[in-house]
Amino acid sequence: MIGIIEALINGILMGSIYGLTAVGLTLIFGVMKVINFAHGSILMVGMFAAYWFVILTGWNPYFAIPVVVPLLFCFGYYMQSFIIKPIFEAEKDVREPITVIIVTTGIWYVLDNLALMIFGAEFRVAKTSVTGQVFEFYEMYFLLPKVIGAGITMVCGIYLYWFLKHSRMGKAIRATSLDREAASLMGIKQAKIYNVAFGLGSACCGMAACVLIPFYYVYPTVGVPFDIKAFIIVVLGGLGSIPGAILGGIIVGIIENVGAQFMAATWTELLLYGVFLFVLLVKPSGLFGQKHDY
Amino acid sequence: MKQLLNQNPKILLISALLLGTLLILPLVVTSPTLMQIFILIILYAYFTSTWNFVGGFAGVLPLGHSAFIGIGAYTSTVLFQTFGISPWLGMIVGGILAAMMGVIIGLPTLKLRGAYFALATIAVGEGVRVLVENVKQVGPLMINGPSGISIKLAESSFSAFQFDSKLPYYYIILTMLLIVLLLTYFMMNSKIGYYLAAGGEEPEAAEALGIKVSRYRLIAMAISCFLAGLGGTFYAQLMLYIYPKSILGLDLSFEIAFIALIGGRGTILGPVLGALLLRPVSELTRIYFGSMLPGLHLVIFGFILIIVMRYYPKGLVEPVKILLNKLFINRLGKQGGPDETDSAGKAD
Repeated sequence: MIGIIEALINGILMGSIYGLTAVGLTLIFGVMKVINFAHGSILMVGMFAAYWFVILTGWNPYFAIPVVVPLLFCFGYYMQSFIIKPIFEAEKDVREPITVIIVTTGIWYVLDNLALMIFGAEFRVAKTSVTGQVFEFYEMYFLLPKVIGAGITMVCGIYLYWFLKHSRMGKAIRATSLDREAASLMGIKQAKIYNVAFGLGSACCGMAACVLIPFYYVYPTVGVPFDIKAFIIVVLGGLGSIPGAILGGIIVGIIENVGAQFMAATWTELLLYGVFLFVLLVKPSGLFGQKHDY
Repeated sequence: MKQLLNQNPKILLISALLLGTLLILPLVVTSPTLMQIFILIILYAYFTSTWNFVGGFAGVLPLGHSAFIGIGAYTSTVLFQTFGISPWLGMIVGGILAAMMGVIIGLPTLKLRGAYFALATIAVGEGVRVLVENVKQVGPLMINGPSGISIKLAESSFSAFQFDSKLPYYYIILTMLLIVLLLTYFMMNSKIGYYLAAGGEEPEAAEALGIKVSRYRLIAMAISCFLAGLGGTFYAQLMLYIYPKSILGLDLSFEIAFIALIGGRGTILGPVLGALLLRPVSELTRIYFGSMLPGLHLVIFGFILIIVMRYYPKGLVEPVKILLNKLFINRLGKQGGPDETDSAGKAD
């Protein structure tokens, strides 16, 4: 019984970290109507950046946050403006920009394999002051970095929600995601919004990356499982909805961890895919998504 | 058939030349390694052409094609290993199984919009891979999970679908490719082809006209998956060893999709062109750089994909056609600019 509660809480913890990654993805989709397949690879870039930061400075990975997050923001911002924008422009009138999706797939492959070439396939671990520390709570043990990570991601999620609701840029972003043309008529520069949205989405990955370093292995294809989970979460929660992404993340985390109590870990993957397909077929708009998200 | 022969004689001539070259190739090429490379090129052209039925004509982006290839491969192999059933028969069974899977999956998913469909196919593709990786044995059938199955070496014979030399493999896959290309041509120019084209562009408008888009998409899916399964068996018999990572999963699915997209989805020769361009890249980088820079060929693929999508989102078939037109028009001394023929013809 204790085991299940422990798994449940672990699921919530890990899930909120998944959720942050998914928030980034859902933001990009909500604004640009594009599923960014390269999202996991951006996370991977962030993780390597955080890893090298920790190795080179010997500092706590949480100090990497002010470095990695803006770095990834710029990474995403410029990736969008140089690579994705021209293709996006060409497909402006097409209802579903499939070519952009394809290009993000290409970016995924390039990034992952460049990392493989440059850094090699080994799994790396960053030894930090919080690695391996355990937090005890009523006879249940939780990895301290996971708890801290979950806390940070919760804070980020709330901040992002506030930002989108109340800040000027946030409102502009929401306007663009509701109706591109109308927003543009109101004087909101589309190109800038897309760049910012992509940057923000990538920054979310950066935050998640820093928080993952103390307890997760770093290797070139580390982004792939996160990528796939992010898709599942975003569909579960509803494309374009931030609370949906966080909630979806927690649900996925719970399914993964509690499921592992009853079956081998590899089967939980299958379970997740099953849930994903189920949601896609029964309620594709997810928990909080709008009916016609165009 | 008449339609086929009524094409522009220039195009027919070039096609005949190409075909002739492919047919006599083995007489010129003697090294088995080189033969293997050619076989793989044609095999990938085959896989991608089967993908084309759904990804090209139905207008959606299936990213889980490897699942059907894998089903074909595993079915025929398991049947051969456990019951000694000839791989040829196993191939048909595998194809039918793959087609059934395709229809079952297609029924709910083909109604989804572009991005959702792509995600669903990824989930299915990976799901099949995880499933096979986790299963060691089902009753008397050995599946071996992640370590895969090694096919018993039988004497080189047609019935065992195993040969000592590469030549028979080459001709078999070439024949298979030609059949698929012909099928593609006839489908494109048939009622089904037009229905699919309409459904791909504007499904609602097509439905309003009374076209049952989903039904035709399912038919395309069934054909696509059946043929893919056949290819899977060929692969198994060629390599004599299959394991989940090689025949299932994202890598193969994506490579096929990339080849189709770069070559030109929805065209007959697009997949062939794509395979001709990308497979050698894959093989050469593996041979020369494999140990030093793993993954280099995928980086190159990714770059090529991004650049091609930026400038030629429809693929490279059209630009190459125009280029060839220029060359041949000048050579043959004919007048005029690029041909205005429909791209639905057996292209040059």
